[in-house]
Amino acid sequence: MKKYIYKILFFASVTTMLVSCEVEEFSDLNGPEVDAFAEVLTRGDLQDLIGGVLYSSRTRLGTYYDDCGVVGREFWRFSGSDPRFTTDLLGGGNSVLDNNTFYITGPWASRYRTVKNANLILGFLDGQDTSAQFSTAEVNATKGFLRTFIAYEMLLNLNLTDEAGIRLDVADATNLGPFVGKTAALTGIRAMLAQAASELSGGGAAFPYVLTGGFDGFNTPSGFLQVNKAIAARVAAYQGDSSGVLSLLVGSFINLSGGDMNTGVYYTFSLDPNDLANPLFISVEGSSPSQARVVQPSFLTDAEANDLRLSKTAQLPAPITLDGLTGDVILNRYQSNIESIPIIRNEELILLYAEANITVNPGQAVTALNIIRSSAGLGAYSGGMDSASLINEMLNQRRYSLYAEGHRWIDMRRYNKLGDLPLDRPDDNVWSSFPIPLTENQ
Amino acid sequence: MKQKNSNRRIFLLLLLIFPCFVFAQTTLSGKVNSDSGESVPFANVIQKGTSNGTTTDMDGSFAIDVESLPATLVFSSLGYGTIEQEISSGDPVTIMMMESGEALDEIVVTGLATSIKRTNSANAVASISAEDLVGTTPPSTLDGAFYGKFAGAVVNANSGAPGGGLSVKLRGATSIQGNTQPLYIVDGVYVDNSSIASGLNAVSGAAAGGNSASLLQDNATNRIADINPEDIANVEILKGASAAAIYGSRAAAGVVIITTKRGKAGETKFRFSQSTGWNEALNLQGLRAYTTQRVNDTFGASAAQQFTAAQASGSLTDYEEEVFGEHGIISNTNFSMSGGSAKTKFFAGISHNNEAGIVLNTGYEKTSLRLNLDTKPNDWIKFGLSSNYIYSSTDRGFFNNDNTGTTIGVTLTGTTPWLDLFPNENGVYPDNPDQSSNPLQTRDLVRNNETVNRIIMGGTATLNLYKADNSRLELILRGGLDFYGQKSRAIFPKELQFQKPINGGLNGVSIQGDTQNKNYNLSAFLVHNLTTANDINFRSQAGLTNEYFDRNTQLITASGLVASETNVDQAANVGVDQTRFKQEDSGFFVQEEVNFQDMFIATVGVRGDRSSNNGNANDFLYFPKASLAVNLNEFSFWTEDGVWDQMKLRVAYGEAGNFPPARGLFTSYNAFTTDGLLGLSLLGVRGDGDLRSERQKELEFGADFGFFDGRLTFSGTYYIKTVEDLILNAALEPSTGFTTQFVNAGELENKGIELTLNATPIVSEDFQWDIGVNWFRNRSIITKLDVDPFNIGAFGATLGTFRIEEGESPTQIVGIGPNPGANGFVQWGDSEPDFQMAFNNSLRYKNIDLSFLFQWKKGGDNINLTTLLSDLNGTTHDYDTIDLDPAGSLGNGDYRLSQLGSSAEVFVEDASYVKLREIGIYYTLTKKMLAGVLGGSLDSIRLGASGTNILAFFDYNSYDPEVSNFGGNTPFTGVEVTPYPSSKRFLFHVGVNF
Repeated sequence: MKKYIYKILFFASVTTMLVSCEVEEFSDLNGPEVDAFAEVLTRGDLQDLIGGVLYSSRTRLGTYYDDCGVVGREFWRFSGSDPRFTTDLLGGGNSVLDNNTFYITGPWASRYRTVKNANLILGFLDGQDTSAQFSTAEVNATKGFLRTFIAYEMLLNLNLTDEAGIRLDVADATNLGPFVGKTAALTGIRAMLAQAASELSGGGAAFPYVLTGGFDGFNTPSGFLQVNKAIAARVAAYQGDSSGVLSLLVGSFINLSGGDMNTGVYYTFSLDPNDLANPLFISVEGSSPSQARVVQPSFLTDAEANDLRLSKTAQLPAPITLDGLTGDVILNRYQSNIESIPIIRNEELILLYAEANITVNPGQAVTALNIIRSSAGLGAYSGGMDSASLINEMLNQRRYSLYAEGHRWIDMRRYNKLGDLPLDRPDDNVWSSFPIPLTENQ
Repeated sequence: MKQKNSNRRIFLLLLLIFPCFVFAQTTLSGKVNSDSGESVPFANVIQKGTSNGTTTDMDGSFAIDVESLPATLVFSSLGYGTIEQEISSGDPVTIMMMESGEALDEIVVTGLATSIKRTNSANAVASISAEDLVGTTPPSTLDGAFYGKFAGAVVNANSGAPGGGLSVKLRGATSIQGNTQPLYIVDGVYVDNSSIASGLNAVSGAAAGGNSASLLQDNATNRIADINPEDIANVEILKGASAAAIYGSRAAAGVVIITTKRGKAGETKFRFSQSTGWNEALNLQGLRAYTTQRVNDTFGASAAQQFTAAQASGSLTDYEEEVFGEHGIISNTNFSMSGGSAKTKFFAGISHNNEAGIVLNTGYEKTSLRLNLDTKPNDWIKFGLSSNYIYSSTDRGFFNNDNTGTTIGVTLTGTTPWLDLFPNENGVYPDNPDQSSNPLQTRDLVRNNETVNRIIMGGTATLNLYKADNSRLELILRGGLDFYGQKSRAIFPKELQFQKPINGGLNGVSIQGDTQNKNYNLSAFLVHNLTTANDINFRSQAGLTNEYFDRNTQLITASGLVASETNVDQAANVGVDQTRFKQEDSGFFVQEEVNFQDMFIATVGVRGDRSSNNGNANDFLYFPKASLAVNLNEFSFWTEDGVWDQMKLRVAYGEAGNFPPARGLFTSYNAFTTDGLLGLSLLGVRGDGDLRSERQKELEFGADFGFFDGRLTFSGTYYIKTVEDLILNAALEPSTGFTTQFVNAGELENKGIELTLNATPIVSEDFQWDIGVNWFRNRSIITKLDVDPFNIGAFGATLGTFRIEEGESPTQIVGIGPNPGANGFVQWGDSEPDFQMAFNNSLRYKNIDLSFLFQWKKGGDNINLTTLLSDLNGTTHDYDTIDLDPAGSLGNGDYRLSQLGSSAEVFVEDASYVKLREIGIYYTLTKKMLAGVLGGSLDSIRLGASGTNILAFFDYNSYDPEVSNFGGNTPFTGVEVTPYPSSKRFLFHVGVNF
């Protein structure tokens, strides 16, 4: 008996030692922690983090374009699984825009996520001695690239909230800056772009990372500087700063020689399951009341005959109806779910050039508009040379040239013409802006 | 009287040690039989009021010496009612002991290694036996048998899909972000109850923009479904921290302790049972009352023509009936045997369940094997082993929310009866002209299967280290292992309408998941018992525990399938997602119980836990407990022979924890690609490395009364349960780059009442009627919130959403509406019920047993979006009924649509129900009646019929108010988006014991 007891006590004490040992502390098993880069940022890390900025700049982009396109009466978004595209966005019945619903919260948060992804990299670059990994020029080039992205992402959010404004200073998540109104926001965005431009100028010959095919032709600091200037020209146009637009366009990639309208930088997509597909593609066969982007009929009826840009639409075999809206032509801007979506391209730059020249040099404006008209298979402009006529022509060309690229609503708003947008149902409304998301606590 | 059992057993033990001190004068002898006529071996026989006792032998015979006659002998044995018999002569006697499920009720858990008799328990520990669990009708899964059987337990099915998917919530909301499901312990083994998403989001897009591994809307099964209900002897539920503090940092949501059947010494007994029946839809909605005019108004002229033509040719099809109208065949087969000698006992069982769902190609199949062994090679050591192997295979179909118009449920809301969606003679399905998918094609071609292979093993060794006259020291060593591999396979072939590239599809998708889960737990306890001369018992225990959890899920999503291949390498695009989870906890536990002559029973204890999941892994968290029970009936002023058997007052306090979710501790990047370029992007959730566990503190008061020899018992409990350091995934200003952050930022309080009444109004030789009633209610409130109020769960304020706000219920449902409050919303409801109640009746007349259980849930609201989606498509069954519009002019469909965007009121619906949860009628052929069959070797044959949910009464405007689009492990259940509809079950049974 006694020897058993000793064995048992031995066994018990072994067990005790086994169970009383320290527990193991685990780090995140499923992804790299943010703090991991704060100490050492390698070239490989930077490549991956830049890739993250490119990734998140595309999340919820479909919702952004649907917001602008539906409110701007370019097309209707039919969805069997979410009614709010045809109620809230069109102001149907008593519906109003909600400040805590996907159409604002989704794109808003995604754009600021990109801003955060970029700001974190800026923080890593500033917070450590990077001389062993990167040259000064490479650091400059990276900062200029990231700051251009930050400015562009903020501009997209400002496009949604307009007068309500955005937060410009968000680098420190624990101490956010205030909301600033539209004017101050545009000023701030333009200043950011200017700083980025000077950084890109000192950015040497190459970025210390590769970019996607969407940046082909612009994937060096000097090439990307042209993109920076192009975006700044758009911002200047929103500010009504015609001379600013014209001077910025000089440094951009504008090509007035009637060259390729599509030269520019693009969001690219793939079907890799960890990637995103083009969110704006729905085929003719795949369009039904439960899933479609139906062209708002006036886009077709207002068009001049033989406008080649009507190829951005496609005919359905039969009309489809949802929530009191019926149509038989769908958006056909993209022909596949991996087609790229433009960030900014030459056609817009020519139109910005035309717009800025309406007040500065109307003759140049008409020249530019005719470049656009000719590329669309239309004859030369024959309307009046007064500002109002030219503005209408410019807005009309923008409507068809930049169809479904998120401009119509913003353009009509800029010129106080939202009242000219067509209403499809008796109680519909055209919203001038989206509310600031509830969780911003404004 | 039964209650004396365990003390008597202690006397008996003392007696066994010192048999020579007993002086004999008269020898009484006899035999103990059970009511079924078998002998009862190893029953305890004790002379009342003395420590004199013995046990029966293998044949149930006993002999005991008493000093004088008459003497009263007390006979007790586990699984039998205790009998007291006065014996006045020395003639041999025959004692009949009644087999009793209730007899098992006597003991409830108080420590990790100890239990206490129920009459001395200071907690309202709910406990049910095998008979209560599966006796009326066999449930599809274990948790499905809990409905109405425990006061304080809210059971809710997430959908009607076969193979489980239920949530069990004990005493209200216990956490907002953390675990809300109880900890399951089976024979001492921590059993995993995860729901593992199968990645359907890649096709459904339900969580638009989300990543595929963190999903709730995939309608996954929870893994407790693997436990075979037929193997279970007893289930105990520790509902809150006051009872569950012994399980420390994992116990805040309560603990369900399951004990499986074990062998009894004696003749080997065999049981065979077969149940066969079917599933059918509980409540289909039916078609809208279409007329040509209505079709013309809603769908346009061409649809009206199709309608008229289809009506004329009689080809209108009710697609709801077509999809959900199947009768799914159910077959359950069980075989078990048990027996053994005084030293070694065994229980072995095998069961096979196969049930088809109410939708073609859905179903659930499970095979479970069990072997439980107990051996006691000598007086001072005892070993127990439980082992269980389970195979299950579940086909769940493709339901619930989506953003792509592809699930069967969402598609059906827009499928009108004049469409012809049937395949042609070559088996080719037409594309659905109105929708993105053809629901018949989806039903016939999509496969969504989960397969599990699981082994659960537990072992216990109990060593009596030391024994003396009045004290005893035991060492208990325990180990448990739960290991499973789960494979999920969701196949969307390329010929599906929504997979055709021309329709924007991905040209076939194959999603294959593989999860390996391993949990093990080890513990060692020392238990010391000391009884003083004046009958004060001190029981001390101290122990160490260690638990380890490791789970690894790999989910491969392949699209662009080659030919008809489904292997993930035979595809154009392949994505892999891996999620790992590891946790190691270690702790200690000490407890002291003092029992003063069964009058006062006091307990104090503390558990200390360390966990890798805490911000500081090696700091101890302490979870104390204390309780006191006072048995007034044991006091001397109590009249022994009155109608009162028991009057106990009790109070208990305890604390328990709830871990932060692992993802709450880190702010991390996730890997994505952009056109072939790898990228690291934030996900929008900010973690906090210093996040603390939630701490629940519960104070419980109660009283238990028993009258008329236990024929009437009543128990009432009131509890106050607070949760401190509430972990919230609180909204963060999205301009920070994060949309939410994990913080300890609030307090939650639950108060509730639980009442239980059991009675046996009639008992006679031929007829017995037992009735059990339980009633409970809970009120939750957020008492403190350190972050701004925020909306959570569901789909935004337009459609109704949950909202966390100080001073309000955590499960309040708010939405837009007229005259909003200061927060901008109108409170439209609360998913918490006003109360729940259950009536359980059991009647026995001679050989016929009838039992039935009604469960009533009063109040509690759902957000019903199935109806909304149907309205938007003009297909709702009550579209043209006019009873909602206060003006009395709009049909219900038009009225609800008119409210969309201005008020969420119409989407928030009362989800009260009354259901006949279980009913069963059985006829038993006894051994006597079967004497001539097979040489009399059959003990009994039981024949019967039973059903589940045969009657259901509710006003709720959809399939079933019991539903949850977001699964079970959240307080925000009750959101409905086109689920798999619930079903009712009808079964016929034959059981043979031999």
